[in-house]
Amino acid sequence: MTTVNLQAALGSWPTFLILLLGATLALYLARQPAHQTIHAVFFALYRMLRTCACTVNKTRERLANRNRDVLLEQGRQHAERDLDKAFFEINKFVQKDLGGYPQLQRDIQETVNRIRDDYDNSREVPTAAPDWLDAVNAIATIKQTDPAAATNGRILEQIHHSAEVQHKENLAAYRKSTANRHRILKAMTPYWRKLAYSVDEVGNRLKEITTRAQSIDQQMLKFNEIVAGSHQAERALKASSITQFVIAALVIAVAAGGAFFNFHLIALPMSEMVGSAQRIGGVKVADLAALVIICLETTAGIFLLESLRITQLFPLIGSMDDRVRRAIMICASCLLLILASTESALAFMRDQIALDLANLRASLAGVDSAEGDSGINSWIPLAANMVLGFILPLALTMVAIPLEYLLQTARTLLGSLAEILLAATVSILRLTASGIKHTGVVVIGLYDLLIAAPLWVENLIRQKQRKAENQYAAQTEEF
Amino acid sequence: MRQLIGAIVSAKPWGFRACLLTVFLLAGCSESSPDARYAKGIYLLLDTSGTYTQELAKAQQVINYLLATLEAGDAFAVARIDSGSFSEKDIIAKVVLDGRPSTANKQKRDFARQIDTFVKQVKSSAYTDISGGILQGVEYLNEAKVGRKTIMIYSDLKEDLPTGYVRDFDLTLDGFTVKALNVTKLRADNQNPQAYLNRLSQWSEKVVSGGGNWQVINDLDKPEALTL
Repeated sequence: MTTVNLQAALGSWPTFLILLLGATLALYLARQPAHQTIHAVFFALYRMLRTCACTVNKTRERLANRNRDVLLEQGRQHAERDLDKAFFEINKFVQKDLGGYPQLQRDIQETVNRIRDDYDNSREVPTAAPDWLDAVNAIATIKQTDPAAATNGRILEQIHHSAEVQHKENLAAYRKSTANRHRILKAMTPYWRKLAYSVDEVGNRLKEITTRAQSIDQQMLKFNEIVAGSHQAERALKASSITQFVIAALVIAVAAGGAFFNFHLIALPMSEMVGSAQRIGGVKVADLAALVIICLETTAGIFLLESLRITQLFPLIGSMDDRVRRAIMICASCLLLILASTESALAFMRDQIALDLANLRASLAGVDSAEGDSGINSWIPLAANMVLGFILPLALTMVAIPLEYLLQTARTLLGSLAEILLAATVSILRLTASGIKHTGVVVIGLYDLLIAAPLWVENLIRQKQRKAENQYAAQTEEF
Repeated sequence: MRQLIGAIVSAKPWGFRACLLTVFLLAGCSESSPDARYAKGIYLLLDTSGTYTQELAKAQQVINYLLATLEAGDAFAVARIDSGSFSEKDIIAKVVLDGRPSTANKQKRDFARQIDTFVKQVKSSAYTDISGGILQGVEYLNEAKVGRKTIMIYSDLKEDLPTGYVRDFDLTLDGFTVKALNVTKLRADNQNPQAYLNRLSQWSEKVVSGGGNWQVINDLDKPEALTL
């Protein structure tokens, strides 16, 4: 009834105008408090959102610092592990290859001494000039006119003959000694070769040490950067962790596929052992048993790799006494082998059950037994099943390595994602706050737009008053 | 069982006692009754009256198909529609499939053998008590405590009761699916098709008013025809 009256009242123009005027007047009179209220409300919202943005931003900063600490700590641990490994390897190398260096040095020294001796032995001793050469010269200078010259000539001839005989003898002796020297020098060749080989070997080993030392230098540099917490190291670690996460996730997906295949390989024969009618939480007990076996295999694999110190998912195992660690290793290996053999047997059983089912279906369909009709040798799939049943559990043990990487890198990656999310939230809150602040100004403007007419009148009156005041001030100055 | 508990209690080392207890618990789990919520139950009624007996060879194929599709824990019973079908003696073969595939296969073979023997030696009955058969099927499936309950009627749906048999009761078929298979047309139906339609609508009304679902499947060659 009231609504109808209101509509009727608003329908008539005079009433509508009166109401409009009244409302405009009321709005004009309430302008100041209305402005204050609108301003207060929007400013409060603005401040609230700004405070929220500030709080979220602080949380983001704390998270970023935390992520950075975690990343650097993980990087430091990895770098330490790499350095330990590098030092261990170089130590092993030095002990193994350079440990025999004194012996090598002795060999070289001996070879050098032998060469020196041989060289000394092969040295040519110059033949001394005959002492009687001066006497021959003196006889030769005696004049031919001298009666004794004939005698001298005979003497000289005799001397010449003797000299020729001696020269021949000397030449033969010289040739013999030269042949001896050559023989000695020829015998030196293997020693030279041995010496050259020894020197080359030493050179190669030293080169290897230099290469390893350079690698260690690089790792040390990286380690120092991580310890110093440089941005470069942080960026490198972040990029590395994302790559590792993706790779680990891919490998885990492949392993999950393997586990799925493995599950289907043993689920049917498990129903022969534990029955498939019972269910726990809607899942068949046989399926659960198959899953438990796969989980046990994975767990045994993780323990095996932990005890081998390949992974560090459980640092306690890695830090255990070697005897205990070896015991865990043997237990895990035995468990794995037993489970793998069991799976192989289950795969055999699966083939038998599948064959029985096929025969049953064939007999129910009124067809003769399907066995032997397919033309495929049934031993091939049977053997393949058994081999896969044995290999898949062993292959699943390797899942510990990507799992470790996935867990380690997921922490960093999730932290980074949370950081990005918080940063986006901060931006949205700030944008909203800014929008609300400007909306307040717009709302005040709209309010003034509703009372534009009285404001215009007020403005006119004020202008008139200002003009009057100016005139009064001018008259006062003239006066 | 008492001896087993005694052995666990008297075991000296605690570790060994814990192992025994675990084995006992696991054994207990494996011996627990099947979870009936996930099991299927089928009660198939075979009409053996008059000329419909000739259709039983086809029914045997249906039974064999159903046997092949049933899984561990499922209950299956085949009964004949006789003069008075509300009776245990009319059940030709019944089985609850074991959880172990080898045993279940053996049960299926035995079941198929019983049906084969029945089909070969069946004698046609003078009357057709479909309502009694349905009532028997409801009782059987309720006792079997299966999740999905299906009653299949392999018949022309022409009920013919002996004198003195009263079947004017309401069926309680909440949670039941009633499937009429291979509903053949009688000679009278050919003369007056409305009689056939009336017969179908009468049974449909009876089942639906009892809270059940009603389906008619005449083309058994369709792959989805016997899907449970």
